[in-house]
Amino acid sequence: MHIPDGFLSARVALGYAALSCLGLGAACWRLRSQRERGASALLGVSAAFVFAAQMVNFPVAAGTSGHLVGSALAGALLGLPGALVVMSAVIIMQCFVFADGGVFALGANVFNMGLVGCVVGFCCYRLLCGAAPSPTRRVASVAFAGWCATIAGALSCAGQLSLSGAARLSVVLPAMLGVHALIGVGEAVISSLVVASVLRFRPELLENAGQVELGARPRKSAVLAGLGLSIAIAALLAPLADAAPDGLSRVTQALGLHSSTSPSLAPLSQYGVPGIVSGVLATGLAACFGTLALFGLCWVLALALVPRKGREAEARAVVAESSG
Amino acid sequence: MSAVHRAPAGLKLGLALALILGLGALPAERAWWGLGLLPPLLALAKLSSVPLRTLLSRWALGAPFLLAAASLAFFQPNGLWLGLALLAKSAICLLTLQLLISTTSITELVRTLRRLHVPRVLCETIALLTRYSALLGDEARRMRRARAGRSLRSSRWLEWRALGNSLGLLFVRTVSRAERVQSAMRSRGGA
Repeated sequence: MHIPDGFLSARVALGYAALSCLGLGAACWRLRSQRERGASALLGVSAAFVFAAQMVNFPVAAGTSGHLVGSALAGALLGLPGALVVMSAVIIMQCFVFADGGVFALGANVFNMGLVGCVVGFCCYRLLCGAAPSPTRRVASVAFAGWCATIAGALSCAGQLSLSGAARLSVVLPAMLGVHALIGVGEAVISSLVVASVLRFRPELLENAGQVELGARPRKSAVLAGLGLSIAIAALLAPLADAAPDGLSRVTQALGLHSSTSPSLAPLSQYGVPGIVSGVLATGLAACFGTLALFGLCWVLALALVPRKGREAEARAVVAESSG
Repeated sequence: MSAVHRAPAGLKLGLALALILGLGALPAERAWWGLGLLPPLLALAKLSSVPLRTLLSRWALGAPFLLAAASLAFFQPNGLWLGLALLAKSAICLLTLQLLISTTSITELVRTLRRLHVPRVLCETIALLTRYSALLGDEARRMRRARAGRSLRSSRWLEWRALGNSLGLLFVRTVSRAERVQSAMRSRGGA
């Protein structure tokens, strides 16, 4: 998902850089009071943790391997402002040291993997968790949040590429979504594995993660509004981006190379539901079913991961509470 | 230590950023102008006495990402041309960045960022990240080797589970390390 240099137009790159600066500035402002209470070392060393965790490769089929991005995981472990600063630091370091993603595209990359990833991941996690989650619910929430964060980041990345005319939305959107729906499953599994083991070793780290960094629990309505707003922006921006004149058509006109062959590559039909004519509606329905199925899978995963002993102890605690 | 190494970090950072931003703002049909930057960049590389092999191998590290992103551009009408132009642009940006990184230390860069009034929290996080990422990477590698030594049977699910467990354990160790670092910083009179 790291966009290299040269693929974004100046307007898009600068616009997203400004948005990222705003978000990051707000997070830093939120955190400045935390510094005296000793969160600065935690943030720095956690950033090193995310960095190290991204270097651990998980085997996928046929010799290939994938790795964690970790924005939803960081959101669950550190709270929203902390996760945002940590992810941004990691992305900036990757850009400068490993040349992973460009300098010009740094704002857009921080926006996709930091801002969008953390906000969507954290909001999903908090919404699904509720007030006093059981371990199973916590693990399922973080898995689903990881998937959602990956998908949202891919969506926004596809939007940026098509807005700057590097690729058509009808090509880049299905390609990015298809690949990242799979990558997101890996992200979900790894995030839930990590949270399950943190729950086993030091559960209190997860319980006060939000409170330490945020000061207070976010209001549910605010979380819902943020999530709804981001979905609405994504839905509204996508058709606009497609209707906007392609940067490429200008290029071809300028060069007098007006090609008559337009690529008939619109893989929307692959995602269609038979019996429904409208391509957009069918794709939307397919996406909804896929998301619901994935949510079910996350729950099954959480049931498999949280040890039975924990559930027995929990049941005992409930019994003790109700009897005492 | 060449003259390029000794040049102030702010100057180098500014020059590299200006070059990359300028190249980024170049419209795709003029992307070939960017090739004119190649000789001065190579001359600087020669002056900095960074081995060309190091520079190229680091450059190759980022190259697959360029290809992946460029392949998306190939699907447009006249896409080959656009894809190649984008590729040339980003390859030169990558080279500039490599030159900057191989001649400037991260500590200097972070100090420059702090002088530019980048928020202190972010600067501290970046500084600590560079300091501890090697340590934690080593710790992850040790845990992995220990696990490989202990486990006999293996399936993909077990492997994933063990890796996830060790990452969780790594986070727990990270937090206790952060607590130690914080108290050490405080006892020396730091933040």
